[in-house]
Amino acid sequence: MTSFVFDLRRRDLLAGGAALAGLVAAGVPTAAQAQATTAMPQLDTAEADRLAAAFTGGAEVLAEGLALDLPALGDNPAAVPVRVHVTEPITEASWCEEMIVIADLNPQPFACRFRFTAETGSADVAVRVRLIQTMPIRAYARMNDGRVLAARHDITVAAGGCGL
Amino acid sequence: MKIGRRTLLSAVPSLALGSALAGASTALAAPAALSGETILKPRSGSAPRIVICGGGWGGLTSARYLKQELPDAEVVLLERNPFFWSGPLSNKWLIDVVDTGFLVHDMLRPANRYGYSVIQCDVTGIDRARKTVSTSRGAVDYDYLILSGGIRDAWDAWFGDDRATADYTRAHYGSAYIPQGEMLGLKDRILNFKGGTLVMTLPPPPHRCPPSPYERACLAAWHFKTNNIPAKIVILDPKPQVAPIGAGYRAAFAELYPDIITHVPNARVKEVDPYNKRIMTEAGDFDFDEAIFMPPHQASDMVFYADLIGTDAEGKPTGWADMHPRLFHANGDDSVYIVGDSMGAISPHFGHYPKSGHVANYIAKIVARNIGQRVRGQEVVAELPDNLCYMLVNGEPREAISVEFLYEVGADDLVHQTQIDIDVRTPDLLEEDFAWINGMFDDFVRV
Amino acid sequence: MARPPRIWISNETPSLGEIVRVRAQMVHVMESGFRIDAAGQTIPEDILTGFTASLGDAVLLEWSPETAISQNPYIEFTFAARQPGTLRMVWTDAGGVVAEAEKEIAVG
Repeated sequence: MTSFVFDLRRRDLLAGGAALAGLVAAGVPTAAQAQATTAMPQLDTAEADRLAAAFTGGAEVLAEGLALDLPALGDNPAAVPVRVHVTEPITEASWCEEMIVIADLNPQPFACRFRFTAETGSADVAVRVRLIQTMPIRAYARMNDGRVLAARHDITVAAGGCGL
Repeated sequence: MKIGRRTLLSAVPSLALGSALAGASTALAAPAALSGETILKPRSGSAPRIVICGGGWGGLTSARYLKQELPDAEVVLLERNPFFWSGPLSNKWLIDVVDTGFLVHDMLRPANRYGYSVIQCDVTGIDRARKTVSTSRGAVDYDYLILSGGIRDAWDAWFGDDRATADYTRAHYGSAYIPQGEMLGLKDRILNFKGGTLVMTLPPPPHRCPPSPYERACLAAWHFKTNNIPAKIVILDPKPQVAPIGAGYRAAFAELYPDIITHVPNARVKEVDPYNKRIMTEAGDFDFDEAIFMPPHQASDMVFYADLIGTDAEGKPTGWADMHPRLFHANGDDSVYIVGDSMGAISPHFGHYPKSGHVANYIAKIVARNIGQRVRGQEVVAELPDNLCYMLVNGEPREAISVEFLYEVGADDLVHQTQIDIDVRTPDLLEEDFAWINGMFDDFVRV
Repeated sequence: MARPPRIWISNETPSLGEIVRVRAQMVHVMESGFRIDAAGQTIPEDILTGFTASLGDAVLLEWSPETAISQNPYIEFTFAARQPGTLRMVWTDAGGVVAEAEKEIAVG
């Protein structure tokens, strides 16, 4: 069911040696099976909450100033586009030092970290994440004056859906 | 012997012709009768005969690789068109990135090179009990049959029994997703559009070449933009968002054609009035000056003739072939294979394989190997395809995006799909596209 | 990893202070470390661990992906064109540098 599994090398096998990569017809024992995985979703948001607390360090969290853009539906759970950007002006005096993205119920909820400098002049990033199931996504940003901004978004993930 | 005869003909034509005629006078006499029941190709010898219906990406590839697998087999390819016209890259042809000669290929040269025969005819019926295909030029029997007819445009889904309106719509607003007939007219409509609103519909999935309608919108928009044609393109999409390569397309729409392209999600078609140039959808009604209509796609007519359309859990016809998802033969009839876009669902995880030339080519090779294994009495090895699509989104500089699909069998014994969107538009992806299509053409049609 | 990173830049000749958008995508398996092979063995984690973008001597962005980042990682970011220079991007995994790319930015 999950698409939380990837292997480029297998593709090379498929392209190169058909008989090797192919599985014997139904009813006949198969040589190899991929996609077995130990990945399990988190049962709750406790780990995500812990990660968030470690980032905010007890600072007051502002629900303004950070935008988290996700599609309404993650039609390809293997690559859900996530954009995070600070909406207030980034200047030489006021800039974003660090951002994190947390996928609350992923096996490892910490998705990634971004660090900026005074010379970046912007705080706007987008990546693709793989999501094991429907879940909340959150992002946190720390400004150079110590303020912490946060945004949160629920996303529904289609099982194996690819729009075709 | 052929060479000797040719030498003779060129050296002394009148003599040679005279002697040949004298020796073959009975063969040149008119046949007593010719009808749809005439046996098109009498059998000779005991070699297996494999009949392929459809000379597109899947059919031509099947023919070549069957002759490679089974050199003694008689491979007969039936195709209604006089030549091959590639669907892949035809969007680029619409704005002259490639010329007609790049897309159009003779089928007799590959047939002669690889040793199969091509007969130009329409498939008019399939009698699986008698293992016979009826065509507009007579009947042909088979040991194995490959149905590689692509898709049909299900205008009836929009217009029911109103054939006149369906025909009018196809003739005026056809999408040319079935190549040849509508292609030249479509290009003319785009290049000669003087301005106004061009409406495009996408069919509900699954449909042929999923990312390509958006590519077509981009390339038409590029043409309008560079020629200062005051045109708007409205893409009516039944899906909730652009997919696949959604991010790459959204960026192209917003950054390259912000004043031209409007993408309307959840715009499932409710009603079309081609005479008054109006289309009603679940996302609103739209007037148009020009349109490119893609009605729902279904398996090609021949799959219906063969009575091989599947049914869903509620017993309703799926419109696609009822077939084994790993071995590609019809359920209940393993002498009939389905190759390419007509194929039915593969896995509950993702539905259908993408209906693309790449997949048709890949499945055709798998099926050729599987038939070879069966004829030789060997174990049949099930194989999985992959898929690759490149989509041009900008005319200058020429920048493309792409999507790749990988398949593997999971612990649940079902096929799983991994989709890799390459959303960063770059010129080198177009170079890869040309490398890909040249490799493909050389594989099955260009000799 | 034969395929080069795909790079797209909104403007390679931005005006002073203009916000430049960069999209970059490279090929990496991003093996999660959760999967089990046919022999029942865990396939070791193999993910992109770092991405750095700099303009001349100035670091613009450091990105640290974890297992949640998709195969063939995509990164999009913006920066203010405050000086001309070489925009340099470096991708690393546990084995070291896996890809590099450079683009000249001429600030007009």
